[in-house]
Amino acid sequence: MAGGGGGLEKGEPDFQIAPMVDVLLVILIFFMVITSAQVLNIDKSIKLPIAPDAAKKDDSRSEAIVNVRWDAAANRSAYNFQDKLYYKGSELVGPIKAAKAYGDRIAATKPGQNPEFRIVIRGDRDVPALFVSQAMNAAAEAGVSDISFSTVNHD
Amino acid sequence: MKSFAADDDGTMGFQIAPMVDVVFVIMLFFMVMAGAVKVENELSTRLPGSAESSSAAEFTDETIIAISDEGEVSLNEEPFDTPTSADLPQLRSTLMRLKENADNAKQPVVVTIVSDAHAKYSRTIDVLNALAAAKITNVTFNVDEE
Repeated sequence: MAGGGGGLEKGEPDFQIAPMVDVLLVILIFFMVITSAQVLNIDKSIKLPIAPDAAKKDDSRSEAIVNVRWDAAANRSAYNFQDKLYYKGSELVGPIKAAKAYGDRIAATKPGQNPEFRIVIRGDRDVPALFVSQAMNAAAEAGVSDISFSTVNHD
Repeated sequence: MKSFAADDDGTMGFQIAPMVDVVFVIMLFFMVMAGAVKVENELSTRLPGSAESSSAAEFTDETIIAISDEGEVSLNEEPFDTPTSADLPQLRSTLMRLKENADNAKQPVVVTIVSDAHAKYSRTIDVLNALAAAKITNVTFNVDEE
């Protein structure tokens, strides 16, 4: 008698290709998802500094990202905030204030979430510390005291 | 004559074996890519703000880590590690001891990083990374603009 589980008449189980394809597809989708999970609204021209001991990014809060670019050839930095370029830290105060007001309004509609707005600084590893400090000053002037620095785990 | 991949009626049957081959190749590609994926992490700091006046202010010893424009790191004016060392092992172990002692004494560790204006930002991150490894969270960041 043929077995119900795919056995042949001899009693040996047959190799079932369909369940194998199912499993392979599931593993494939798993790897596709973890590879593409990093969809970041980032500035690709920035080489982030490496910090293997940094904490995992907290994505649950309202935040705005300040990209600090460094043009080594021209020896100058530029701030990319919400896809607009600024060349002075003081020019960032207004846009950060607007982003904070918007973030606070969004946070008010989501109870249970940490309501504090924060600024994430994505600075190029070669930028002089002064320009990062100017971005921090702009955040302070706009009333944001919680600041995070973005890093990568390896090169 | 019966062809290699066609049914008796001439239509091509669905070939599962090449599909498994292709799926395997794509899966291997994603497995390899998964190891190389860069994860963006964060190091947090808080800007010194106005202290709440209702609580009594406690004064604690402040530790100052200075970064020179050459990338030399010094803790309370004593140089640590070489300017090219990204791991900063000496600073890291010293900070760990400092944190342990402070925890035993139930005192907070307050660290201020004072970086030269022209020092590379990556050096500041190296120091913040060492502080994160030592689990020191009270960190402020300052730039010496002179």
